[in-house]
Amino acid sequence: MNARIRRLCAPLLGTFLLLAGPATAQDTIKIGVVTDKVGPAKPYSEPALEGIVFAANELNRKGGVLGRKVELLVEDDQGRPDISAAMARKLVDAGAVFILSISLTPATQQQQNVTMEAKTPQMTPMNSGDTLTTQLPNPYFWQTGPLGSIQIATLLSHARAKNLKRVALISDNSDLGQLLARFFRAGLEKSGIQVAVEEVVPRGTTTAEPQMQKIRAANPDALFMAGVLTPENVLILKAYRQAGLKFPIHSSYNLSVPQYMTVAKGLLDGITFVDAYDPEKPEVKQFVADYVRATGKQPYNIHGYGYDGVMLVADAIRRAGAPDREKIRAAMQTTKYAGVMGAKGMAYAFPEGKRTGFDPNGMVVRVYEGDRQGRVVHTGQQ
Amino acid sequence: MQDFLELAVSATASGCIYGLIALAYLLMIRPTGIINFAVGEWAMVGAFGGFLLLSKAEWPYPVGMAAVLGFMLLVGWATERVAVRPLVERGAPLLAPILALLGMLVVFRESISLAFGPDPHQVPYPFGFGRLELGPLAGPYQSFFIIGATLVVFAAAWLFFERTLWGKCFEAVAIHRRAAALVGIDLGRVTALSFAAGGAAAGLGGLLVSANVSAHYLMGVPLAIQGFTALVIGGVGRVEGALLGGLLLAFAEQFTVRYAPLPAGYAQGVPLIMLMLFLLLRPTGLLAAREARA
Amino acid sequence: MIALVRWVGTAIALSAVAFFLGDYYNDVYRKLLLWVALALSYNFLFGISGQVAFSHFAFYGIGAYSVVILLFQAQLPLPVAIILGVVVCVVVALGVAIPSTRLEGFYLALVTLALAQLFIVVLNEGGTVTGGTGGLVDYRLPTILGVRIAGPWYTAVIVVLVLVTLAVLWRLDRSWFGRACRAVRDNPEAASAMGVDVARTKVIAFTLTSALAGLAGMVYAFVDNTVSPPIFGLENAFLLLFMVIVGGAGRHAGAIVGAVLLYLLPFVLSPLIGHHHALVFGVLMVAAILLQPRGIIGIYDRLRGS
Repeated sequence: MNARIRRLCAPLLGTFLLLAGPATAQDTIKIGVVTDKVGPAKPYSEPALEGIVFAANELNRKGGVLGRKVELLVEDDQGRPDISAAMARKLVDAGAVFILSISLTPATQQQQNVTMEAKTPQMTPMNSGDTLTTQLPNPYFWQTGPLGSIQIATLLSHARAKNLKRVALISDNSDLGQLLARFFRAGLEKSGIQVAVEEVVPRGTTTAEPQMQKIRAANPDALFMAGVLTPENVLILKAYRQAGLKFPIHSSYNLSVPQYMTVAKGLLDGITFVDAYDPEKPEVKQFVADYVRATGKQPYNIHGYGYDGVMLVADAIRRAGAPDREKIRAAMQTTKYAGVMGAKGMAYAFPEGKRTGFDPNGMVVRVYEGDRQGRVVHTGQQ
Repeated sequence: MQDFLELAVSATASGCIYGLIALAYLLMIRPTGIINFAVGEWAMVGAFGGFLLLSKAEWPYPVGMAAVLGFMLLVGWATERVAVRPLVERGAPLLAPILALLGMLVVFRESISLAFGPDPHQVPYPFGFGRLELGPLAGPYQSFFIIGATLVVFAAAWLFFERTLWGKCFEAVAIHRRAAALVGIDLGRVTALSFAAGGAAAGLGGLLVSANVSAHYLMGVPLAIQGFTALVIGGVGRVEGALLGGLLLAFAEQFTVRYAPLPAGYAQGVPLIMLMLFLLLRPTGLLAAREARA
Repeated sequence: MIALVRWVGTAIALSAVAFFLGDYYNDVYRKLLLWVALALSYNFLFGISGQVAFSHFAFYGIGAYSVVILLFQAQLPLPVAIILGVVVCVVVALGVAIPSTRLEGFYLALVTLALAQLFIVVLNEGGTVTGGTGGLVDYRLPTILGVRIAGPWYTAVIVVLVLVTLAVLWRLDRSWFGRACRAVRDNPEAASAMGVDVARTKVIAFTLTSALAGLAGMVYAFVDNTVSPPIFGLENAFLLLFMVIVGGAGRHAGAIVGAVLLYLLPFVLSPLIGHHHALVFGVLMVAAILLQPRGIIGIYDRLRGS
């Protein structure tokens, strides 16, 4: 009854209830999650959500946040940006004090229109497109996914000794793949490296051989991979191996997911990739041990993104002192939180009003040894 | 020149895959007029069959392949039973089974997605990942295997339609359904068989391509679209048209990417424009259907 | 006069609902209304004039992108942008429809399928004009006479759109043109013998419904103030087709029922059965076609008939 009256009055009382309602009436702290359970982001949204659920359970096991239990409200956007925005509104109406976005990049973008209007804090712990914080001046949005520009800068800093002059760039036609390619190209050109050829492998193609031929003809010093679709990336690797090419491959963080170790078996040796995950880091070892104990399953880096997202938000809520959206917004901006992801000693922070929180020096470079993801060989951009 | 010939091998292999999917469409369209967009999902089912039997259970390739094809015959037959026959018997308009099969497309995809999860799975190569060099022609073993297997299938299909009584029955139904029924051809059985054969052709295409693209739940729709484009280019009239259309499409796609001075993103638009032009200028496809002879 | 009162009354009633809904339900409501508008015009194209086209949702996108580009990149005033946006839709529609009249049956579906895919390629490659894969964001509906329409008031605009769409199609359906469309659908030769210009009827029906879809897209552009390529993906074209079929092709009420049902289905099912809802959707689709060929409106007819 009470709820119904409130819903009927909500448009009249407007923002007053939106701000005051959750703080007064609930005894749990509600964190909303917009995920993709049926669409193209599912391979990444699913493990990220598992990490989020594990983090919330961990928090609650240790007494919650500010003495209250954390309650997750999970909504499926079906991989559709317009539904995604509706789901963000649902979470706002349901009293979520924070929204975590782990669906597609365009979905996160479209939710921002809602969170900006409803003044509700929102963060994506894993989307990496540089444009998410630049397309809309939304003070309620943060991003801790490692940006494309950081990925390329880290890769280049590692490859500095090789003195690259002309390189090839390959990507796919997914929204994130295109975004990463854009910022990879910008990063390469900024370093004075010529992109001799840029190729796209479209989703659903049956071979990457023509693209690889074109790259071979350009005879680059190295190949940079910015794509994020696993089957298409495997096709690229197969074409590269078939052609017997020798120039090195430097890949975006997409090659850091462990699925490649089975689906691209035999193709990976020697490939360099950038990652936000260092298995030797004490926090990571602790996280893996705890996760295995709690769920019996082995986590990997995508779980870590989701886990860090919840923990960072919980930290902000603690410092805010109350689950109040405005106070949380202020607290977010002064975040200094060391989590599972990132190089040893890295902490997420949003200094000087920045809303991208992944430390530019926080990524690591790793190399495939056979089909195993090897240890960290390089850290940061120095 | 070496690039050109290598690319020809690669495009021929892709074209054969498109051709197999186009053949699956054609086997069903000829006698029934039904366009079955679920062929892409059939290919996906074939690919996952390959993953289960060849990667997980590690059966020998020929046995696993035979089992997958047998199973796909069954899938095609069952699909016809469930989603097509009741509508045909009721005398529903032609669009009804086409739409019911679109619904089946969703059912197949979501079942696979629930059963196997969202991650792609590796399907093995029958002859490994090596490279074969036949004089100036060079390419992966798999490309040659795809080409060989496809040629066998198309030769068999051609012989079936040209040389066997059953094949003549199919043609008769295609040319004039009611007249064929009058001379004693069992329309129900022809329809069921055409769907079973379509299932096997699509499943084979899926199994062959999945060694390259991996088995994953979103692979169906692109294959369905590529196969249909091939069919439109080649024409629904003749079996050879499906292969010819597939080859033309694949050559256009891959040679555009390789040689056309276009930004990479726009290269994807070329086959689409080609499809539109073909439809508008030559809607019957390259090879016209055989007419009834007096 | 009475008819007009009835239309206005409906408009007020449907708009009033928006003022009693929370933000979330209001958002679902207005996106639902847009689907209803699309289903209505698609029903005229597919159900009444019998053309299977997959470009309808692409025209929705063309409308949305056109109005945003014309307003904020060409800096045109709102009425001019809307009119030019419609012109863009009409020109593209004519460009597809006129050569397509030579095609039979399902071939139109293929041309339009290719068009819908090509549209997405153009959006992705459009550079700063279309914003590429990120799309266009950070714009607001221009003020009209100093007032910015927002929240439930904007829902009222969408209600007007739906009713105008319905009114136009309703009148057309009952006119000489509607009968010509049905005749062309059922038997083109006979229609032609009766003096109906088959090609022209098809072209007009296609262009008109595509322009209506474009208009709906223009309204959509300001619902979330975001347009990006994935919103206008190909799968929506199939969803639209299913909506009309499940509701009952050829009937306005059917299109409305189908749109409401299929749009809301995942919202209802997702909390109950999680991500199995997509599977249920497929099964329902097959069952609907097998068991109820005339759609839900067919059940209603039968109940009323008995």
